Amino acid sequence: MNTITQTMTYEHNVCDNLFAQAELLVSQAKWEQAIANVESFIQAMEQHFSREENVLFPTFEARTGNSMGPTQIMRMEHTQMRQLFAEMQQSVVQHNSDDYLGQAETLLMLMRQHNAKEEQILYPMTDSAFGAERSTVLQHLKDHIHQA
Amino acid sequence: MNVANLALQQTPPLSVPLRFFLTAPLFGLFACSLLMYYGPPILLNRWNFATLALTHSLTLGVMTMVMMGALLQLLPVLAGVTIPKPKWVSTFLHALLTTGTLSLTLGFMLNYSLYLTIGLVLLSLTFILFFAIIGYCLIKVVHSHITIAMRLAVFSLFICVSLGLILLLFLTQYTTVFDPAIFTNLHLIWGLIGWAALLITGIAYQVVPMFQITPQYPQLITRWLVPALFISLLLFTLSNLTGYFTSITTILLSLELSLFALITLSIQKRRLRKLPDVTLNFWRFGMIHLLLSILLSTLTLIWQPLATKAFYPTLLGILFIGGFILPVIQGMLYKIVPFLIWLHLQNQQLNVLNPIQLVKIPNMKQVILDKQARYQFWIYVSGFILLIAAIWITDLLYISTTLLIISFSGLAYNLYKATWIYHSTSRQLHEAKS
Repeated sequence: MNTITQTMTYEHNVCDNLFAQAELLVSQAKWEQAIANVESFIQAMEQHFSREENVLFPTFEARTGNSMGPTQIMRMEHTQMRQLFAEMQQSVVQHNSDDYLGQAETLLMLMRQHNAKEEQILYPMTDSAFGAERSTVLQHLKDHIHQA
Repeated sequence: MNVANLALQQTPPLSVPLRFFLTAPLFGLFACSLLMYYGPPILLNRWNFATLALTHSLTLGVMTMVMMGALLQLLPVLAGVTIPKPKWVSTFLHALLTTGTLSLTLGFMLNYSLYLTIGLVLLSLTFILFFAIIGYCLIKVVHSHITIAMRLAVFSLFICVSLGLILLLFLTQYTTVFDPAIFTNLHLIWGLIGWAALLITGIAYQVVPMFQITPQYPQLITRWLVPALFISLLLFTLSNLTGYFTSITTILLSLELSLFALITLSIQKRRLRKLPDVTLNFWRFGMIHLLLSILLSTLTLIWQPLATKAFYPTLLGILFIGGFILPVIQGMLYKIVPFLIWLHLQNQQLNVLNPIQLVKIPNMKQVILDKQARYQFWIYVSGFILLIAAIWITDLLYISTTLLIISFSGLAYNLYKATWIYHSTSRQLHEAKS
């Protein structure tokens, strides 16, 4: 985990796991566990987004002087995903598995494309942009805790 | 700058890919009507003109139709390149491909060289336009596994089309200088393996892990398999033209394609997402039939008389086109179409001044119902199995074709209903805005 790419990709995998668990619990109508799992999935996602929005993206934008490029698209996709998080939370509380599974399917497509773009393009760009300061940025990233 | 527009720059207007996707099931129905009209003889002889009409309505009207639409959509999204004037390009390409395919198949059906010539001209124009635009974009794109696959697939299509045009010149008696049998084999190998299987492989690298949360394909595979397949196709062509080493090049192609099918099945087995999924069904069905068609063609190396049996080319064609390519394409449509519709509606909603949810955007499973997609899958499977049985028990052809008609109608219904949902929600969004 010496690079931003490795660290952040690992977080994506953790989130994917939580997503799949939550989806399975909803499909089995194990509502209590499902509600808890959906919560931990969304928290993990928010923690990850927060690291990007508050540390990684601003530092990268300051370094490259470009705040309207890929980071802006990533932020917009975060907004789209947050809208789906809210809908999913509502569906799981209402024990509505049809709605949840449809929203989850939609989120998955969006999330996996988003992650692929970050893992294949954006993170490697940040790794090379920071050069020698990479480990400092990485430490800031790891130290950052999301405030709900 | 508007944030929503920034994201929309990556994705072309919905109508760009959608017109291709909506036309494909209609050609599926057209192909079924040929099966119904000509009856069992259509399965007996691959040189039959009715059989040529049938295969081209499937390979051009369904397969190439969807793959062109998908490339116009995926190039900007996966490869980060914008297609110039996407609406114009897609309108012309779609109109040319549709009319070209229709006149070619009519030419075959009626054995009428005027229609064949019109088909020849229209399809030449289609592919000249396609190669010019896509070639221009593919030269500009970032180098990645998927863009390499796209380039080699499009280049294979170029070879397939060139061979096809030469064959058409032969049929319309403009030329008689070569052996059409070898050229026909090369034409279909470059079309089915070069164009279809290479593109499917490249796209699989991206979408299989994405849809079911599976492990990634091994790096060795994503780096080398598609180039190796392409080189094997070149060797296969040489060996067929010269008559040397044909078995070796056949084995080479078979091994590489089996590797793709087996790895896809194995990573799908290790997926994190365990819920039933119709796209997964279609893809597994496709991979199994890819393996079966490879098995059948390698059997001829051990037992040569098999290749001379009348049922052999028909069975191979049904397994590869109906068992592998068409299911994979249908599986893709069930993810791409609902997702694109959701994405475009979501982007429109972000443009509405008041972001409080005035209009509810349907999620993917509301755009196309799971249950309806699953019915359509099982009807396709039954029609397909009976079609194979009909090679020997000819009476089954009518039941099988009826099931396939229901299946393509179901596909059309699901896609057209999705489009209707898009337009009605979009209208509501614009009313809410004004």
